Amino acid sequence: MTAPVTTDSELDEAPAADEGGRPAARRYGLLAVAAAVAVGLLLGYAGGLLTPTLTRPGQNSAEAGFARDMTAHHNQAVAMGLLAFRQGQDAEVRQVGVDIATGQQGEIGTMQTWLRSWKLDPTGDQAPMAWMPDGAGLVKNGLMPGMATPEEMAKLRAASGREFDVMFLRMMIQHHIGGVHMIDGILAEGHDDDVLAVAQVMKNTQQNDLANLTAALKRLGGTP
Amino acid sequence: MSISTPGGPERRPTVVSTGKKPAAGRPAAAEKPAAKAGATKPGGGKGPRAGAGGKGRKPVTPVKVSQGRSWGPIALFVAVGVLAVGIIGIGAWAVYQGAQPWQKRADAIDGVVDFRKKDKDLVKGGNHQPGTIKYDVSPPVAGPHNQAWQNCMGDVYDAPIANEHAVHSLEHGTVWVTYRPDLPADQVAKLKSKVQGKEKLMLSPYEGLDKPISLQAWGFQLKVDNADDGRIDEFIKTLRVNASIEGPNALCDQGVTATGTTPRDNLQQNMPEQPTQ
Repeated sequence: MTAPVTTDSELDEAPAADEGGRPAARRYGLLAVAAAVAVGLLLGYAGGLLTPTLTRPGQNSAEAGFARDMTAHHNQAVAMGLLAFRQGQDAEVRQVGVDIATGQQGEIGTMQTWLRSWKLDPTGDQAPMAWMPDGAGLVKNGLMPGMATPEEMAKLRAASGREFDVMFLRMMIQHHIGGVHMIDGILAEGHDDDVLAVAQVMKNTQQNDLANLTAALKRLGGTP
Repeated sequence: MSISTPGGPERRPTVVSTGKKPAAGRPAAAEKPAAKAGATKPGGGKGPRAGAGGKGRKPVTPVKVSQGRSWGPIALFVAVGVLAVGIIGIGAWAVYQGAQPWQKRADAIDGVVDFRKKDKDLVKGGNHQPGTIKYDVSPPVAGPHNQAWQNCMGDVYDAPIANEHAVHSLEHGTVWVTYRPDLPADQVAKLKSKVQGKEKLMLSPYEGLDKPISLQAWGFQLKVDNADDGRIDEFIKTLRVNASIEGPNALCDQGVTATGTTPRDNLQQNMPEQPTQ
């Protein structure tokens, strides 16, 4: 490698003579270039490492608020769905119930994984719906849109037969309408591509459910 | 190395004409520069000096020798470079292919029919509809369906099942493998081994198929002749769960496990595997 650099015939004895400055300077130049390249690579690497940390949703982001609040919202739907699976008289009520229960439990897993990957706590100290611009006005008695009160849940637990089926369908329709509203909120406020994609699938599923729940309620002679 | 470039082309004819094998070897040629008068002129002139004078005399010859020698490292670096670029290129291409959206990978499967492009209304999502439903595509790939899905936890059905339940399974992300009832038993066994016990998959015979095997996912279909066709695995890998319009969490268990092409939804109390309370 070094041989071609020093092939100039006059420089054959150069290392020992007074002209030793030129190759040395070249060597320092090479070293400087190498150092600059190394520093550049390190800076790029550090930048690459830091970027996800700096750009991921933070404590008060809409994404974090949605993930936390929708987890709570979904938890009630899972409870209602499992009640329907166990207590429903109508076959479709049982079938839809178990589908909603397992589906939303799965979505809870996705949302909790987001929070963990963002290094955030599973729950926060913000008021429910604070992440949505008009969120505070939607909260009634501390409940997010469409959620049933503890009294309503107790009534549902105690019901049976057609009474249970109709009550469940009404409550789940309200729950889904509120859920879709919250999903519209994150679709408007959110920036994280993954969150937006999952939220869109949630919305599709709940809108699909809504059509089927409404048709089932009509079939059973209930009113919304 | 230094001799090879000038000496190479001229040495070959001499070997052919004389038929002497030793002459073809490089060391032999360098040791005996006088072996062939014609060949030694370009090669022999430099060869001995490069070997003997390289260490002793520095003034003139080393310059020429170093020029000649540098082709070796250059060729080596070029070769290594080309190899490295090739390896990185192949790796990057594989990563790029793997990172393609699943829809693109699905469309790239030879012979696949993508109804998501052909008929957007069909694949939007299916509302529940009781009783028998007429489907335009056979076997159906999307559309309205009964409220109960066919159990799709890797179930292997030995008799035809109802479209009205199977389509609901497709909506939940299942790949439904169907085969013509006359498919040989060893072929059926191969399909069975791909499906059995794996969630979001199910297998059943299907009457009236125009090809021996047909695969369905929500909005996608692929028909093949043979259970050994590599596209079967490709279709399953690409579309299982991905094709679900309700995400990866839709349920496959608690569905209809019975066979028979008559849908069961209009029979209210005929849901199998349901708790009685």
